Amino acid sequence: MDSKTPIENLYSIEPALSSSSRRSNFSSKSKSLGGNSIREVNFVDLGPKPVKYGSRGAESETYSMSQREINDEDARLVQINDPVKTNERFEFAGNSIRTGKYSILTFLPRNLFEQFHRVAYVYFLVIAVLNQLPQLAVFGRFASILPLAFVLLVTAVKDAYEDYRRHRADNIENNRPASVLVNHEFQQKKWKDIQVGEIIKIHANETIPCDMVLLSTCDPTGVAYVQTINLDGESNLKTRYAKQETLLKIPEKENVSGVIKCEKPNRNIYGFQANMEVDGKRVSLGPSNIILRGCELKNTTWAVGVAVYAGRETKAMLNNSGAPSKRSRLETHMNLEIIFLSLFLTALCTVVSVCAAVWLRRHRDELDYLPFYRRKDFSEDEEENYNYYGWGLEILFTFLMSVIVFQIMIPISLYISMELVRVGQAYFMIRDTQMYDEASNSRFQCRALNINEDLGQIKYIFSDKTGTLTENKMEFQCASIWGVDYNGGKVSSQDQKDGYFVQVDGKVLRPKMVVKTDPELLQFARSGKETKEGSHIHDFFLALAACNTIVPLIVDTPDPTLKLIDYQGESPDEQALVYAAAAYGFMLIERTSGHIVIDIQGERQRFNVLGLHEFDSDRKRMSVILGLPNKSVKAFVKGADTTMFSVIDRSSNTSIIRATEAHLHSYSSIGLRTLVIGMRELSTSEFEEWHSAFEVASTALMGRASLLRKVASNVESNLCILGASGIEDKLQGGVPEAIESLRTAGIKVWVLTGDKQETAISIGYSSKLLTNKMTQIIVNNNSKESCRKSLEDAIIMSKKLTTMSGTTNDTGRTLGAASLTPVALIIDGTSLVYILDSELEERLFELASNCSVVLCCRVAPLQKAGIVALVKKRTSDMTLAIGDGANDVSMIQMADVGVGISGQEGRQAVMASDFAMGQFRFLVTLLLVHGHWNYQRMGYMILYNFYRNAVFVLVLFWYVLFTCFTLTTAINEWSSVLYSVIYTSVPTIVVGILDKDLSRRTLLKYPQLYGAGHREECYNKTLFWITMIDTVWQSAVVFYIPLLAYWRSTIDASSIGDLWTLAVVILVNLHLAMDVIRWNWITHAAIWGSIIATFICVIIIDAVPTLVGYWAIFHIARTGLFWLCLLAIIVTALIPRFVVKVLYQFYTPCDVQIAREAEKFQAEIQSAAVEVEMNPILDHPRP
Amino acid sequence: MSSNTPSSSAGGVGSADSAAPRRNSKRPKYSKFTQQELPACKPILTPRWVISAFMLVSIVFIPIGVVSLFASRDVVEIVDRYETACVPDNFRNDKVSFIQNETTNKICTRNLTVPKRMKQPIYVYYQLDNFYQNHRRYVKSRSDSQLKDNSSWDDVSSCKPEDNANGMPIVPCGLIAWSLFNDTYNFSLNNQQLAVNKRGISWKSDRDSKFGSDVFPRNFQNGLLIGGKRLDPNVSLSEQEDLIVWMRTAALPTFRKLYGKIERDLQPNEVIQVTLENNYNTYSFNGKKRLVLSTTSWLGGKNDFLGIAYLTVGGLCFFLALSFTIVYLVKPRRLGDPSYLSWNRNPGGH
Repeated sequence: MDSKTPIENLYSIEPALSSSSRRSNFSSKSKSLGGNSIREVNFVDLGPKPVKYGSRGAESETYSMSQREINDEDARLVQINDPVKTNERFEFAGNSIRTGKYSILTFLPRNLFEQFHRVAYVYFLVIAVLNQLPQLAVFGRFASILPLAFVLLVTAVKDAYEDYRRHRADNIENNRPASVLVNHEFQQKKWKDIQVGEIIKIHANETIPCDMVLLSTCDPTGVAYVQTINLDGESNLKTRYAKQETLLKIPEKENVSGVIKCEKPNRNIYGFQANMEVDGKRVSLGPSNIILRGCELKNTTWAVGVAVYAGRETKAMLNNSGAPSKRSRLETHMNLEIIFLSLFLTALCTVVSVCAAVWLRRHRDELDYLPFYRRKDFSEDEEENYNYYGWGLEILFTFLMSVIVFQIMIPISLYISMELVRVGQAYFMIRDTQMYDEASNSRFQCRALNINEDLGQIKYIFSDKTGTLTENKMEFQCASIWGVDYNGGKVSSQDQKDGYFVQVDGKVLRPKMVVKTDPELLQFARSGKETKEGSHIHDFFLALAACNTIVPLIVDTPDPTLKLIDYQGESPDEQALVYAAAAYGFMLIERTSGHIVIDIQGERQRFNVLGLHEFDSDRKRMSVILGLPNKSVKAFVKGADTTMFSVIDRSSNTSIIRATEAHLHSYSSIGLRTLVIGMRELSTSEFEEWHSAFEVASTALMGRASLLRKVASNVESNLCILGASGIEDKLQGGVPEAIESLRTAGIKVWVLTGDKQETAISIGYSSKLLTNKMTQIIVNNNSKESCRKSLEDAIIMSKKLTTMSGTTNDTGRTLGAASLTPVALIIDGTSLVYILDSELEERLFELASNCSVVLCCRVAPLQKAGIVALVKKRTSDMTLAIGDGANDVSMIQMADVGVGISGQEGRQAVMASDFAMGQFRFLVTLLLVHGHWNYQRMGYMILYNFYRNAVFVLVLFWYVLFTCFTLTTAINEWSSVLYSVIYTSVPTIVVGILDKDLSRRTLLKYPQLYGAGHREECYNKTLFWITMIDTVWQSAVVFYIPLLAYWRSTIDASSIGDLWTLAVVILVNLHLAMDVIRWNWITHAAIWGSIIATFICVIIIDAVPTLVGYWAIFHIARTGLFWLCLLAIIVTALIPRFVVKVLYQFYTPCDVQIAREAEKFQAEIQSAAVEVEMNPILDHPRP
Repeated sequence: MSSNTPSSSAGGVGSADSAAPRRNSKRPKYSKFTQQELPACKPILTPRWVISAFMLVSIVFIPIGVVSLFASRDVVEIVDRYETACVPDNFRNDKVSFIQNETTNKICTRNLTVPKRMKQPIYVYYQLDNFYQNHRRYVKSRSDSQLKDNSSWDDVSSCKPEDNANGMPIVPCGLIAWSLFNDTYNFSLNNQQLAVNKRGISWKSDRDSKFGSDVFPRNFQNGLLIGGKRLDPNVSLSEQEDLIVWMRTAALPTFRKLYGKIERDLQPNEVIQVTLENNYNTYSFNGKKRLVLSTTSWLGGKNDFLGIAYLTVGGLCFFLALSFTIVYLVKPRRLGDPSYLSWNRNPGGH
């Protein structure tokens, strides 16, 4: 045997094992190779289902998927090794992929089509088209299209570049080689040429080219390990199985043929359902028989499979969709103000057209000969009206023209700026070193790009517990076996430091993780199963080692004499249990679909796995049927206590059951996760009965899942209790502090967990969610009526508590938090069943809003979403859900902001989330620091953009009043086009990305500052209207100072237009400069650079001889009047804003303002801060 | 609060040692830029700052206001409104027919008394009121390419309704050129001709680059309706300075255009006799016509507005500075005092 690959290393150790285990091992190998009939029966459709255990919910999803049976219409038929026949109807996609959206020909139309999905662009387009009508041509043809063209071009170039990269990636992907069976020989073929039905051979560490059903692998039992990191990001190995029927066929030598009937392509990567007919036998296939495109084959020398889905129909490609899109709260508010602005725009246009109509009416007799109107055209033979369409149309045209001229009243550029700003903000959030998680080597991720500012207004946080508040690194703590509690573990001897190990041939094989052990229990475990305790302990640890889906991997270490066993599995609880079993001398060495090898106290033993009932969320338990070396058959069951006690035989051993229950209670009250382990010995008849039922169920075509469940519940009955285990789920670092900060910030934290009430409460205490001062209200009922009653009582009680504290509050003048008796609500899933979606919801909400803490335990994934919806529906407050597992997906999607923890439990939560990060405590930085900044920046930016565009429009409007309402613009058309593109766009974006109202330190020191977002301090209606009033004043100053200064002078339109342009640009940039809080060099460059750029642009425009304004700027800039006007405009326009700002900041300072001052004058303040912090301590004992 | 110390949780026994040999750490590189910690200046509006800002504005503005007011006062301006006075009494009720009648005598004599000493150069303007040279139809009705270049003499597409006359393109085309002002003024002092220099009244840049020296008027004012002045077809456009001045359309409906310069000083109480030809029709739109003689200052013509504006703003700022000082003295607030923070201010908690 060569020992190049790890999997073979595993075998290479075997000869050195103790003789008995070697014998059994070899005998089993010969059996399986020889196709022993009994074993074959045992193997038929056994356990090729990966079993997940834990409180997570993905499995239930998978489960329901596999329940679906395939109809003929919904099925695809794949002829194994016959691609010609398979593809004769051309209905299946080939394996070449095209993730690129466009080809050279389709790029332009498709890209444009996609871009015009934005309403803003359509508005742009309509205006540009209107402008092309000769009657309405306000701007020159080119100038009117330029802004739209610019935006479209930028986006198109970006899209084209991305698409080019995708094409290149596709090309590389499509041309990768794979060995495909052609004429009984594996030949190299390019990926793109692979067809459905072909047989493909994959070697170790190769990427799988398409979704394939496994036929055989190098492993005699048909196991293959794949890494799905590219697919779902989970780095642990997944076990996949080839079916027994195909396992022994060698495609090169014999003709493999058969038909696979499988589902239509779908995007569920955890589900697959199919039947395979091989050699006249019908075999069912599940998700564990398929290996998916994008996965890598690991620890398996080779695997052969048949392609069933190829190219774009593979699950990986079907899942290639972007992040969910949400719209930010600020943007929703903003849309309302945009409606105001469009009303305002309509009003302006109406004013202009009505005035124009009145003017035309009053001069109707003179129009023909007015030198500046000249309605009559005498150049033709007959006198005609020139460019005059009668009353109605003239008014209409005036209206439309004014819309064109005033178009930027609706700040189109705002949408683009907002996107840029969000990208910039995301860049800084991702780069924040304080949100980098060392342990998982993961940065912060921004998956949704349009809700950055919502992070500053979060009012409710719904948090999952396991993996979110806790590390989800389970550690076996204690066990109760046969009624005896073993939870010593305090003594640390030399022996314990290294843990248990097996010595083989001078080499040491040791579990990768060291578990602390109870010396007494260890002693018993070593004593063998002769004593009564010993045998129970033996069975208990055997159950721990066997009843799971863990795959042991042997890892080399730098020390050649030492090898580590790494237990790979999908459930951390199971991992902990297996490591614990190993520590007590029950080391799981090998697992295949048919057997497991466990090293029991140095003796290698082999157990046949006769059947496995996977975990599901209804039963909440799993079981494995083992054929023991002594030919007896035992069923080992482990599961949650609620469901386990109902299937335990209560007639015997009542004292043990009672003792175990007591231990369970004490375990869960110190925050441990508990599991109950039971066992049942099956007699031959019972086994036969079960076996035939299992056989029937697992080959059933209809309702297989429910049949299997029935079989499982039949065998999982009358159990003999073995004991219970307590696993500690450690709190993540910084969680208590984080929760305290968030609560101080005025955010309500709700914890929704699948754990038991006692566990939840104890975690609540350790995470400082609950404190001793709180009054707990526990709602825990079994019927709707009792729910109603306890809710009503609870409401009365909570009211009493809060009003009572209210009175002490008035008299006692103590700090609020100290005197208020905070109420904590603890409610469980069963009660929620009756409350959610009924009229009781309202009551619950009323109660919950009186409580400062809400803890929901035993909740199902959908209930989590239901609770989020409960709050979301009734308040306008922002909600955030944070979780790490598949069971949090629905909650994450329901909440306004979903945060995924990229932790232990797979990536589904991350995939569904808007933001993802490594640790719960980063939430503090995310919300209090980045959320606050983003909200403040975005709020200011929106207001500023409204102002900036409106001020320009109003300047144009004032001028229209002096031109017979004919929409002449003194400002050069190019300048009006460039106004929002070049003159004023960069500073607002830079400020939107870089400005900080407060430093990170201050924000973390005073979490209360987060309240600015709750109170909508940066963007609200009042601010909008104040800004608009200021806008009117500023525009009037800009317009009327030059008007009065140049009245009755020789000034020409272009020169005064240049003055207005420069005045507006300098004014809006200085307005921004006045509000900038932190000036770094980039801000300086942007603001002063924009002003300089404007001067340069105006000069360039005025240097074009064909334009009317040729050389105007040089003439006017030579006069002192020009500069004096400019100075007067800027100072006069900004005075009211400055005065209001000063008064506001000085006499009604907001918290942010005070904190900012404190930051600046830190030294003097520090002494004062100490005093204030002393206050609560001094005040406390007074009442 | 230590919740943000960079120490990450030890992260369990298992992953700690697996994380150690990881080569490609994704830890973001630290830089002041990415951590948003660029050195920055954080100005805060402290009372001292605010008061000094207001004082500074008033110190700058009041002198400027005074200087500009004096400059404006120094300008001597003679304005004579003549459009009604120059219509004979019998035509007063129907001024339009007077002006349109080719046979009536349009000559009119006005006497202007110099109020103060006027130093040369004295600019002669005509001022029109209520004439919308910025009307959209009007400003668009010109062809810049035709004015510049002889070769595009037939580019009249933008000149409607004055593009062609008798089937031929007009040079210069368009309403602006067509409505060229055509009143003329002759000045005499003590029966001696007062020379008016009409050279150099337009922008040099216009003469050099905007109006071609090889472009000559053609087919101009040959239509049915005569708008204004006729041009000498033998003089190139770049030398038709009245046209060039007129073509630089005014921004506002009341405007002045430079007519010429008198290059000698005028003494107080001298009487200038103006013989003017009242040709231009402003009667159809109630337009007013004025003749203006004015000196200039560094600030331009006579306009008190800017001086008053500067004085007002300067005074206002001075007043604001004073009142802020008083207010700050009466009701001070220690900046950055945490006891003002909302959660410290009302201990009730809300």
